[in-house]
Amino acid sequence: MNIRWYHFALWAAFMAVMFALPEFVSRGTLRTVIFANFLAIFAISWDVLSGRTGYISFGHPFLIGIGAYTTAILTKRFDVAIEASIPIAVIVTMIAGFIVFLPALRIKGSYFALVTLAFMELMYQLVQVIRPDLTGGTRGISGIQGITRGAVNGYYLSLTLLLVVAVTVWLVMRTRVGTALSAIGMNEESVRGSGLDTTKLKLFAFLFSALIAGLGGAFYAHYVGAIAPRALFDINFLFTIIVAALIGGAATTAGPIIGAFFLTFLLEYLRPYLPGAERYFIYGGVALLLYMYQPKGIIALLETMKDRIIRRSST
Amino acid sequence: MLQIIIQGLLLSGLYALIAVGFTLIFSVGRVLNLAYGAYLMIGGYAFFFFSQQLGLPILLGVILAGVLGCLAGLLKYRLLVIPLKGDHVAIEISTLILAVVIQAGIVLLFGDSPKVLLPIVPGVTQIAGASVTFNILTATLVSWAILISLYLFIKKTHLGRAMQAVSMDKKGAAISGVNPDHINMLTWGISGTLGAVAGVFFASYTQLSPSMWVAPLIIAVAVVIVGGIGSIIGTLIVAHIIGFMEVIAVAEIAPELRGVFTMLLIIAVLIIRPQGLFGREEIQ
Amino acid sequence: MIKVTATSALAIICATMAAAEVKVGFIGSLSSDTGLSTLRGAEIAIEELNAAGGMNGEQIVMVTADTSEDPTEGVKAYEYLAETEEVDFIISGSIDDVSLAWMPRMQEFQIPTLDTWTSYIGIIDMVVEDPETMAPYFMNIASDEALATLYINFGADVLKGQMGWESTVILAEDTAFGEAITGLITDALGPVAGIKTTEIIKYDVNTVDFAPLFSRAQETGADFIYQVSTVNSQVVSSQYVKLQVPMPMTGVNVGALGLEYWEDTGGAGGGISTLSPVPSVGFELDPVSQSFVDTYQAKYTSRPVMPHFNGFNAYHGLKQAMAAAETAGGFGDVKAWSAEMKKQDLVLEKDGKLWLRYGFWGDDEVEEVTGRTYPHNARFDLTSPYEDAQPSMVVVQWKEDGSVGVVYPFEYATTEFTIPSWVK
Repeated sequence: MNIRWYHFALWAAFMAVMFALPEFVSRGTLRTVIFANFLAIFAISWDVLSGRTGYISFGHPFLIGIGAYTTAILTKRFDVAIEASIPIAVIVTMIAGFIVFLPALRIKGSYFALVTLAFMELMYQLVQVIRPDLTGGTRGISGIQGITRGAVNGYYLSLTLLLVVAVTVWLVMRTRVGTALSAIGMNEESVRGSGLDTTKLKLFAFLFSALIAGLGGAFYAHYVGAIAPRALFDINFLFTIIVAALIGGAATTAGPIIGAFFLTFLLEYLRPYLPGAERYFIYGGVALLLYMYQPKGIIALLETMKDRIIRRSST
Repeated sequence: MLQIIIQGLLLSGLYALIAVGFTLIFSVGRVLNLAYGAYLMIGGYAFFFFSQQLGLPILLGVILAGVLGCLAGLLKYRLLVIPLKGDHVAIEISTLILAVVIQAGIVLLFGDSPKVLLPIVPGVTQIAGASVTFNILTATLVSWAILISLYLFIKKTHLGRAMQAVSMDKKGAAISGVNPDHINMLTWGISGTLGAVAGVFFASYTQLSPSMWVAPLIIAVAVVIVGGIGSIIGTLIVAHIIGFMEVIAVAEIAPELRGVFTMLLIIAVLIIRPQGLFGREEIQ
Repeated sequence: MIKVTATSALAIICATMAAAEVKVGFIGSLSSDTGLSTLRGAEIAIEELNAAGGMNGEQIVMVTADTSEDPTEGVKAYEYLAETEEVDFIISGSIDDVSLAWMPRMQEFQIPTLDTWTSYIGIIDMVVEDPETMAPYFMNIASDEALATLYINFGADVLKGQMGWESTVILAEDTAFGEAITGLITDALGPVAGIKTTEIIKYDVNTVDFAPLFSRAQETGADFIYQVSTVNSQVVSSQYVKLQVPMPMTGVNVGALGLEYWEDTGGAGGGISTLSPVPSVGFELDPVSQSFVDTYQAKYTSRPVMPHFNGFNAYHGLKQAMAAAETAGGFGDVKAWSAEMKKQDLVLEKDGKLWLRYGFWGDDEVEEVTGRTYPHNARFDLTSPYEDAQPSMVVVQWKEDGSVGVVYPFEYATTEFTIPSWVK
């Protein structure tokens, strides 16, 4: 494991700032941060699978949606306690991830992306048709029990979840498994050539990613309080998750978090100036330009800036 | 029975037209163009603007829509594909972002309300108990005409053979004097034109709305997954499998499961035959 | 003594500074006809109130939060209004799933909120089940259940009575709305109107080609098609017109509710009829509502050229909410405001007859026809001659020449129900 003291210092500083945040910002801003926290969790989940191994998943809303729907149905329709429903939701999501994994084993590249897209689309259709008495059909489920109330509590809950997920992912990615996953992203053949079982590695990435997606999705459902097929199994939701991960910087832990905060705040801070549809146009346009300018994301931009400053100060 | 055959043929013709531009770019450029649905949207709205709002002749409206689609394809190639230097993932993602930007642009220009296109060819007739509009009949005939000419173009012309060569082996093609860059650009232009024209017909079936790009993209994706990339004839056959499956599902089984059948077909094909039913890696 | 006066003076100054103006938040889509109708109705009401001195002497201002008709954006928009803008009152032009998405936020923040578009009965059920946290919520459009119930009378009086039709095939979209309406129609159409349902065909909203569905409907041999569609209703009706399906069709077609319908469908909308909340297109207006439309048309030139029903609801509803706040001493005491809002009752007459009424049902008041309560829901009337309130809906029909009129109830009719020229 390649862990240095300054890693801990950085994590500690990040946590300190985040935990003190409610003292300095308004509740309105906190609400935006909560959405950013959840988006960061989803983006990390996507990154664990796609950012690292290069298998681009267009089906993450599928996993997140299953987590969200499972816990919502259990608590709302069957009066299951949240303490039980969230773990069940995570397990169900992992099972779903495993089911996607089976056909995905045999395919690569763009085909993989298409299959996962098909799974999301299938779920969108099924949720509306099958047992609408449970899923609420097109209108979804409203009035899902909350875990906490108020902006500050919601903030601390989502922040804790994000930190747990981020630190765990960060640690796992520093082990040999993590290195092997990134190696798959570079060249799968050579990883297999070096005697590692890539199928097992990919399965691990899938299940780990599904675990985070399920966990995030379940907590998200309880925070938002209402879910609908159009809000979850939707190409715009997919867009936000992928773009957050990539615009921040794929295959890093900080990248998806930075990307999620950037996107959420960009959209929210445009609201007073461009209340209407222009907002989405600018939002998408900025994302596109930024991504075209540096496909490695904001984190790479920051690194270049850092290098430049160091070079300038050293000369 | 006859009625299902007629309705199946009509719908399949439309689906083939929708999918062919997507297949083309996937085979030659080896790139998933997720903004493909946006070509259809651009084509449909352009036709609406020129023919329905400005009152230009219908044929001119279709041509202008095609020109705009071609332009969109060329611009996409110049401004997205070339700067990203063939990085597949980056191109896929940037086309996805682009599609969302175009969607927002359409909302800005035309608003959120869905719009219905005037029939391109008005009139309706009864064939074997099925109502058939001349509009849809035209769509199918145009679709066949386009597919056949595209097939002949690729098989018989110098440029077409060059496209084939690039789709098989980019380096080999370059050695034998074909400029892959020009061929790629040409392909993006053709794909954009085909998409826009398909969009005019798709919208004259359904409606114009800022989210209309998703449905044809899913159709194109379904055709490509089931058929495998590379074959125009394969595209045609698979479009008919999907079209007929849909008409039969709607007319005889459960109309509400229309989309579910298509998705299940996709997943089944992937498990059994991941390279697709007619899968080859090059166009032919 | 002096100290006390000083403190209370300070308190008064603080109070006036803090509440120098009343802040209204609009939640809805800023790019749809639906959202714009509510927004503009509210804007005009605010202008008129401000010109008359505002609410208890305070000027009213409005801020907007766009939902772009997306449920998640709806939640963010509500949070923005509540916690960043800290509005006193929210007026909503949201569609069903967007309202349902922000509802938990409304319950948490307890901000007085008026919905003007969604008519989902499930929300009224939430008021019944949980009157405490739903106290700040009002919906001033008749619920969809009431709309469907009155529609049965249209079946009895016109479809059976005038046209002599005895059987129908239901062509309904596969959505929660479609299912609810279909359920109500099938339950009552037979016993009340004497019209038999031969088959219910549910379709996927992404269906491209409706020709096989129309063929299937024709094969049932029913006398007419009953259409239930919201999401892509124009696709169904325009294909019906383009295919010249030789079978009459009526029902629910949300796309046909606005005056732009003709333009948007390029004329492929003739013969289509739909139930509509009141006041619909082609609805004769009382002088007060007419003057609202005149102001509207003088002020706005872009679409919608005529406010949809929710524009009227927003205009009258916002004034009522402010009047309730005046008596309740502002919006701060939600319970007091809610109690005052319930008492609001505006009767608009036309030619000495009750024409429109903006009021709410009492909490325990049972509506006779449906036998249930509708707390916090707009008052409506389900029995002719509609002396208690306006009917919950009217049926409007677009003619093949592009004109539109009300065909039912007869008291409000401006034209007669006809079948398209290609149907024998």
